[in-house]
Amino acid sequence: MEETDLLKSAVVEFSEKNISNNATAFERGGIPAEVIKAVAAQGFLGAAIPADSGGSGIDRSGYSVILRQLAVYSPSVSALVLITSSIASAALAKAAPDLLPDIASGNRLVGVDLSTAMDTKIERGALKISGSRIRGTVRYVLNGSGDLLIAMTSDGKLVVVDGGIQATPEEHHLSFRGLAYTKVKVDSGNFRILDEHGKDALLKIADSIDLEVASLALGIARGALNKVVEYTKVRKTFERPLKDYGPVADNISRLMSELRMAELNLESSEAMRDEEILMLKILSVDIAKRATKYALQYHGGYGYIEDFGVEKYYRDAAGLSILFQSPYRDAMRVAKAVYGEKSGYL
Amino acid sequence: MDFEFPEEIARAREKAVEFAKKEITPELAQKCDRDEKFPDELRVKAFQYGIVDYRNPWSMLVTIEELCRADPGLGIAATVSLFGAEVIMLFGNDEQKEKFLAPVQEGKKIMGLAVTEPGGGSDVAGIKTTARREGNKFIINGSKMFITNGAIADFFVMLVRTSEPSDGKRHHGLSAIIVPGNLPGFKRNKITGKLGVRATNTAELVLENVEVPAENLIGEEGKGFYYIMTFFNISRAYVAAQAIGISQGSLDRVLEHLSSLGSGAVTEELQFAAADIATRIEASRLLTYKAASYLFQFRPNPTITSMSKAYAAETAVFAAEKALEITGYSGLNSDLERFFRDAKIMEIWEGTSEIEKLIISRNLLKEAQGVN
Repeated sequence: MEETDLLKSAVVEFSEKNISNNATAFERGGIPAEVIKAVAAQGFLGAAIPADSGGSGIDRSGYSVILRQLAVYSPSVSALVLITSSIASAALAKAAPDLLPDIASGNRLVGVDLSTAMDTKIERGALKISGSRIRGTVRYVLNGSGDLLIAMTSDGKLVVVDGGIQATPEEHHLSFRGLAYTKVKVDSGNFRILDEHGKDALLKIADSIDLEVASLALGIARGALNKVVEYTKVRKTFERPLKDYGPVADNISRLMSELRMAELNLESSEAMRDEEILMLKILSVDIAKRATKYALQYHGGYGYIEDFGVEKYYRDAAGLSILFQSPYRDAMRVAKAVYGEKSGYL
Repeated sequence: MDFEFPEEIARAREKAVEFAKKEITPELAQKCDRDEKFPDELRVKAFQYGIVDYRNPWSMLVTIEELCRADPGLGIAATVSLFGAEVIMLFGNDEQKEKFLAPVQEGKKIMGLAVTEPGGGSDVAGIKTTARREGNKFIINGSKMFITNGAIADFFVMLVRTSEPSDGKRHHGLSAIIVPGNLPGFKRNKITGKLGVRATNTAELVLENVEVPAENLIGEEGKGFYYIMTFFNISRAYVAAQAIGISQGSLDRVLEHLSSLGSGAVTEELQFAAADIATRIEASRLLTYKAASYLFQFRPNPTITSMSKAYAAETAVFAAEKALEITGYSGLNSDLERFFRDAKIMEIWEGTSEIEKLIISRNLLKEAQGVN
């Protein structure tokens, strides 16, 4: 417990120094390279990557603390860690472990195309292997501004491409705007096949990060609610602070109660079974969506503009529920856990 | 009781749909959203096409609905250049109507309504901007916040305090004055970085000793609060129409998505979600048309109007959020994400949902007490 508290203090101290006053700027211009390096230097970027692969080898509960606390300040920074330390590292672990030290250190950024796995309308990847080269244009690459790309091929393989890629921004970038969201053109002779069954591999990874997504969600909720509590103390309407009005105080207090209970569960997640962690994730994402909605609402017009730093939580909570797993797939996963067999598919 | 619109209004809806198909393109919507650019050419085209005429309020209601269904930001931008016009229509004199209203109705000029202040928000009676009378002019000092058309309007209907309330009632002593946007001492700062409706123009207005001719006073001095509340009653119906457009646009995209899936993939969970959206839209529409029916027959029912605005706004947020969930990645990478961002303002502007609920309950209580 003491170790967790120390880790939490370290993340808070780091975030206050490096993120707090810049979170809105990150949303507009991306997370600067020096901040990514600083996140890595603290051991956060490669938190869940084993120490012998260049990561910090922090246990899952410690990793959860890092994701949650970073998300309080900047969900984008937390998502960067999630993509690097959980998704990319899991994809690379078997077939390209030599790349792990570089991504853990922040020396190289890795973009990930999850759309092929998550979007039910997309059957195949866009990359084609021809002889010794790989070519194609991959849409909707999250964190796709570096020279490493994890994506699927047209015949369903999961590959990592190293170099020979050009990224241009995508138009619709709702969530985690501190990360690049790009269309990536690939023409490279340097690639490796990570898994023959790419979609299954990515879905398996997505199913394995329920605790991490829950951590991010609760960090988003905490960030939004902290802001709205402070705002409603000082903002007056009809000559009284907003907090004095019943619906405001009641809604925020109820959400705070739900959040705290979920946080306590998260903090004792080591004892939880996988299906309980999935349930906690579903609950956490739901809390994040409602908390961010009320936080924005009670900021009024000010909540609607970037400068107040509230709207980003609202956008990120919405994206979180889609980018890293479909809520409908999660519903079927939890139904299977409840009934003990495949359920809820009709 | 007939729920069908007369032919004239049905035709107005068709015309709006035609215009939207032709002019509200995905490219323009993306560009204006990305660059936070007001589409003035689209506004002018809408006038030329003959679909913007607030003298035909039912036609405007369905037009707003259809344009926002195509794209909320562009739909609002194309129809909002007369924002506040009803204050002059209802309470202005003939000279003001001729000088200020006519060019706006012809699409030659743009106007705005300036009520909200940096510290005020929902508390309209608490505004701090003052207008001091000196001979045949008013000297205005203060600031206004989140003003639609703020940086582009030719003039504003502005709510100002012209006298301290002698009876302690803060809503007394407020007046509505027409303030041209090009006067010395009048600064306008465009607000950027909005979550949504980024094609609309929003600004902060700062007024330092701005001199306005006394003839620009609308109606009676000290009656401004009532004029603005009357206006809100009308504008809230139009905002409800914007919200219905957003909801319907979200549902259109959901149905398109579900239609493209194999039948086995459209689970009952997805079907129920679509049904929920559709049902709420229909309820919003009925409430809004009822509110409009009262309004456009000059017997407004603020309770119903507030119900329609609050419910339609909540439905827009619900519909856009659900639509994103249903469509998943493909929705997230389509204009639905913009609908999601645009929808939230519906619960904030023209009276937050909280204010609407207060209006509803206070009116109901008054009625109940009257009966007792």
